[in-house]
Amino acid sequence: MRADGPTGTPSATRALLAPAPAPVDDAVRARLRERLTGEMATAAGHLAPTDQVLITVPLLRQARQRPDRLAEPDGAFAWKPAFVRRSLGLSIVHACVTGRFATPLEAAGPVSSDAVADWTRTGWRTFHWEPWMAGLPAGARAAVLADAVGWASSLWTAFDWRAIPRLPEFGGAYDQWGCPTAHPVRLKARSELRVELDGPDDPAGPTAGSPVPDRPTVLVSVSGGCPGPGWSEELAFVALVAGVRSPSRPVPARVLGLWPDAGAHAAVDIDADTLMAAVDRVVVTLEAVAAARASRGVSR
Amino acid sequence: MDAGVMDAGVMDADVIDAGVMAAGGSGRPGPRPDRPAGRGSGVPARGWQPLAGDALLDRLRHTGRPRPAVDPALALSLRRYLEIELSGPDAGPQAAWEEPLVATKGRLTRALACADHARPVGDGRRRPTLALACGALVDGLFRQLVTVGSFGDPLDDGLAGLAVDGAHAELVSWIRQLPVSQRDLLRAEVTRQADALRRRWPALDPAWLPRTQVVLRSRVGPGVELSGRVDLAIGRPHAQQASVAFVEVTSGRRRAEHRADRHFYALIEALRSPVPPFAVATYYTRTGEVDVDAVGPDLLFEAARRTVAGVRLLRRRGEDVGPSPAPAPRCDGCAVVPHDQPCSEVGGGLTQSVAA
Repeated sequence: MRADGPTGTPSATRALLAPAPAPVDDAVRARLRERLTGEMATAAGHLAPTDQVLITVPLLRQARQRPDRLAEPDGAFAWKPAFVRRSLGLSIVHACVTGRFATPLEAAGPVSSDAVADWTRTGWRTFHWEPWMAGLPAGARAAVLADAVGWASSLWTAFDWRAIPRLPEFGGAYDQWGCPTAHPVRLKARSELRVELDGPDDPAGPTAGSPVPDRPTVLVSVSGGCPGPGWSEELAFVALVAGVRSPSRPVPARVLGLWPDAGAHAAVDIDADTLMAAVDRVVVTLEAVAAARASRGVSR
Repeated sequence: MDAGVMDAGVMDADVIDAGVMAAGGSGRPGPRPDRPAGRGSGVPARGWQPLAGDALLDRLRHTGRPRPAVDPALALSLRRYLEIELSGPDAGPQAAWEEPLVATKGRLTRALACADHARPVGDGRRRPTLALACGALVDGLFRQLVTVGSFGDPLDDGLAGLAVDGAHAELVSWIRQLPVSQRDLLRAEVTRQADALRRRWPALDPAWLPRTQVVLRSRVGPGVELSGRVDLAIGRPHAQQASVAFVEVTSGRRRAEHRADRHFYALIEALRSPVPPFAVATYYTRTGEVDVDAVGPDLLFEAARRTVAGVRLLRRRGEDVGPSPAPAPRCDGCAVVPHDQPCSEVGGGLTQSVAA
């Protein structure tokens, strides 16, 4: 990894790399699953089997801030710059952190052009937006790039990348978990970065490219706006989904939230209490969704 | 981008003279000076030439004052001042965490305007006009110029940039349905401003991390959120010294509230970052004028006082209530144009052309 870019916000870097708390053990993970399966089944009781509920961080926020909108149907999907900026922005930051480009503005054009060219050549869509981007006129493409540059610049300047011991995982797939007792309900979350801290087995420093299973992991989650009143549960939710979806992967040790619009960051060290608070929030949200749909006659 | 002002009546451009600004002056506008050239026409005085290229860049970079060092006490005292002033019994009804009162530059200006000057400010609802369309298109072209370094046909590129985001669907549809004569008028003005931008605006070194449409937010206590979106931020955020400059880009004429707008953005940045910006500027694409203010504690505290006054009025009167007929001591228009001369009397720009 190379990063001679911005020095970053010292306090955000310190919060990211602070010593990890004690890991969450398997007994806690079993209790989490037990609570989720039991309480979600109850909360989802009035939902029809075909009535899908996808519980995400935005849904947690909506249930708390605008419960009146929970029953509104989702609009038809259409690509727009806001849907591209995260994946393109992450690729831009990756290209900067690895030394391919010095700044997000220099990286944006080549990274997006490479993605479109790869799709044209192979038909493989790394980001899914390649065909849409390929068909855009110049003015529209510039708007997409400008959006991604702004997003990437925020993340690029948030940390002192030189201090991060090994190359983080950028983006990656969603973590998902389907509730076995409430079939239409799934938990889904993602993080922007997955950072491995030094573990007890490598106190002497990083060993690039050698995965050590017990290295604590920190997730970085980027959000718009200002942190709301439930921010800590929302960050813990990201760790919860990552923790329950696979029995073999360790539960993340910490989730660091970044709110670039507000210049804010905050971290939640993950333990049994924070995860249980996230479960509480999930259950309350599901109850609110079920009630909203029932009131609109969506649910039978 | 302040787009919807060209048809709403504008401030007399010679009140805040670009030549004075270029020489380093940036004080609060005083009484109308006796300047025959350009007076009332909304154009700079004869002989004045807009800055371009490196000279424009130098104007933005060198304010004549040392750049502020990081000062946590300043940010803390600004925050404390706002929180105290907006939480007392005189501060009006408090909003909840979940739904804070969102204070934007437009809402503050409308709340603070006197009855005479409120009309040119508008009512906050943006119905499509040629001026609004021109501003939105030039905004997109400016963004394109900063990001990719060039644009093609201004109207085509500008429309494509607007249309890619569904947020502007109504405006895009309105532009596409314009009668040919109106569309030609729009095309001519957008092309004129775009050509001027291309000639004058300097290439920005990517190392300065230029970024466009930067969202600024800061919560002040539980019930108020200060919110803005600055057209251009230049400079790497730095832990020890102010190194970021903000530029607002405006397709219309100078208006008195532009100064307060950019100071409001400086205030939000001072609250959300370790250091405030070292400069805030407004760039006028129509004429190439630029106003630049060095940011210091006085400017920030004055912006905080104005914000407190505006938020208190917003809380008491609500957004949809018209301006008070009572004297409005913080009306931006009154600072420049006397009460008996509403700034709406000074028309011009695209509207005049359309009317003609």
